[in-house]
Amino acid sequence: MDETRQRLTNCFQVVFPDLPQEAIATASTATVAAWDSVAAITLMNVIEDEFGFEMDLDDLADLDSFEKLYAYLQKRHRVA
Amino acid sequence: MTITEALRITQSVPRDARPFAVTLVCGFTPLHLQTFLGAHLQQALPDRKVTITLGLYGNLVGTLESISDAALPDALVIALEWPDLDPRLDYRGAGSWGATAVNDIVVSARSMLDRIAAALLRIPSGPRTALSLPTLPLPPLFHTPGWQASQHELALQSSVMRFAADIAQEGRIAVINRQRLAEQSPAAGRLDLKSDLYTGLPYTIEHAERLASQLALVLAPPAPKKGIISDLDDTLWSGIAGEVGPDVVTWDLASHAQLHGLYQKLLGSLADSGTLIGVASKNDPAVAAKAFERKDLLLRPEQVFPIEVHWNAKSGSVARILETWNIAADSVIFVDDSPMELAEVAAAHPGIDCVLFPKSDYQAGLAMLRQLRDRCGKERISKDDALRLESIRQGAAFREQASGGATPESFLQQLGAVVTFDFAAAGEPRVLELVNKTNQFNLNGGRYTQPDWQKLLSSPGALLVAVSYEDKFGPLGTIAAIAGHADGKRLTIETWVMSCRAFARRIEHQTLKILFETTGASEIGFRFTTTAKNGPLRDFFTTLLGEEPQSEFRLTRSQFEAKCPALYHEVREMRRAEPHG
Repeated sequence: MDETRQRLTNCFQVVFPDLPQEAIATASTATVAAWDSVAAITLMNVIEDEFGFEMDLDDLADLDSFEKLYAYLQKRHRVA
Repeated sequence: MTITEALRITQSVPRDARPFAVTLVCGFTPLHLQTFLGAHLQQALPDRKVTITLGLYGNLVGTLESISDAALPDALVIALEWPDLDPRLDYRGAGSWGATAVNDIVVSARSMLDRIAAALLRIPSGPRTALSLPTLPLPPLFHTPGWQASQHELALQSSVMRFAADIAQEGRIAVINRQRLAEQSPAAGRLDLKSDLYTGLPYTIEHAERLASQLALVLAPPAPKKGIISDLDDTLWSGIAGEVGPDVVTWDLASHAQLHGLYQKLLGSLADSGTLIGVASKNDPAVAAKAFERKDLLLRPEQVFPIEVHWNAKSGSVARILETWNIAADSVIFVDDSPMELAEVAAAHPGIDCVLFPKSDYQAGLAMLRQLRDRCGKERISKDDALRLESIRQGAAFREQASGGATPESFLQQLGAVVTFDFAAAGEPRVLELVNKTNQFNLNGGRYTQPDWQKLLSSPGALLVAVSYEDKFGPLGTIAAIAGHADGKRLTIETWVMSCRAFARRIEHQTLKILFETTGASEIGFRFTTTAKNGPLRDFFTTLLGEEPQSEFRLTRSQFEAKCPALYHEVREMRRAEPHG
């Protein structure tokens, strides 16, 4: 597992402590009942803490799965 | 604290910890405030599991009005914001901002504040309640440019301040200090407009964290320090009295020594509130005494006791002062201008709070004065606070006479001691304060929140006795409390504390005697637990039982009577309790 994926997994563990480790990589708003609009904001804040940059609320609606967040982070990483 | 840290703190609590239920009442989505409040409270209450329930979105007053006796939380937090007073003050609202609207907003805000005040005052006493006044900037709806306050804005602010003053006067609700919050969370950094408009979360993360921190301090404040031990030269005053002379040391503005004067004034004010003030100084005793005779001293000499002035190590002075006060080092602050003296005292008295007096750094000096106020400040002053220093002086005289040749029996006989038992003291704040701060004569170290305490006292068969004492040396005030349950003639004591100021007077024996007599119990059960500090209570029961108690135990009346020494008190009974259940 690359470093970004591992750090993102850690973020999910903090926000969704009841989510099994093996379910994180496939997690999405459709599969995780606790991932509501409030949890989405908390997840965004935790990712900001972990990666040290600010995310835009405009992007929030599209970032509805682990994979999309991972792709977003990789893109941000490349730009940075 | 970051969001991640806050979440980790709240998730690390054992699931079976005793719950501490908080209701957070506000009109907005308080996601970050809730997360941080939970974490800060969790840190302050490590043996509890903090849970936070939210009120209705957009209906602060409705939530307050719906709170009933049936489901009172342990604590209540009200985070008031401008939109709660009138929806036209909401950035998310659609209402007009015209001149007519502004006049109407002022009127409707006043009316809403009256309604909120009525709802707040109707909430039964019990939950610890914290109120934060509007923290976000008002929208730019007034006709004046932003650098000038409009009369309407001032009228709104004035209504809020009048509301807060009335609420604070009532005494049950603690209002967040806006000035302190403004220092920690500058106004310009509080509102996240995009977040407010997109998601209904108006607070920036930083503001939510700082407000939550202050709310948690109000709900679960640290125990105030009980005493301050101060150095003299270049601390209580500017200059070395032994070198320049006691008449030449200064603490005034003209001598550029006002920081020392402010320090004296602060100590005097703290002494008036019941904080003990002592002196530990390496000095010539005669010189220091001369300085204390000066009429312009801002700290009155009678507010200071004891004064340890000699050339020996200060750690020894501190030890004697702690012994006279009969309190532990971790309840005390030691102030000195010398880092070396602070280190010497800190090494000898682990837990003591050592504070450097920054004699030439005025900003640091102001920070120190505020730090002392924060650590010793109290929410309310009781009549026992005013008695504390005098009773310690009397205690010193008591011990001196007790060890001065007369037999203990003849000494106790001549005391003229009066012990008063109050069986209806449930509403006295001093009793819970005593329970929550007493360490040495303490049955089990149990601490209670106000709601827990009320639950204990309102359960069937509950019994609470507050004990006051006075003798020829003067009154000690309310010095003990005992609480438990009576079930027929079976009596179980859950809590028993007695101030260390009242030791060696056989008050604890008299208390048990009265309990056996008034309840008719043939034995009393004690929910005893050994703590790191309750040795004096353990020793007392070891004498009665013939062995050291290890856990919960029962004491029979005959066991007690066989070991009870002669008692010479006059006993008075103040009030009888109404029976519960």
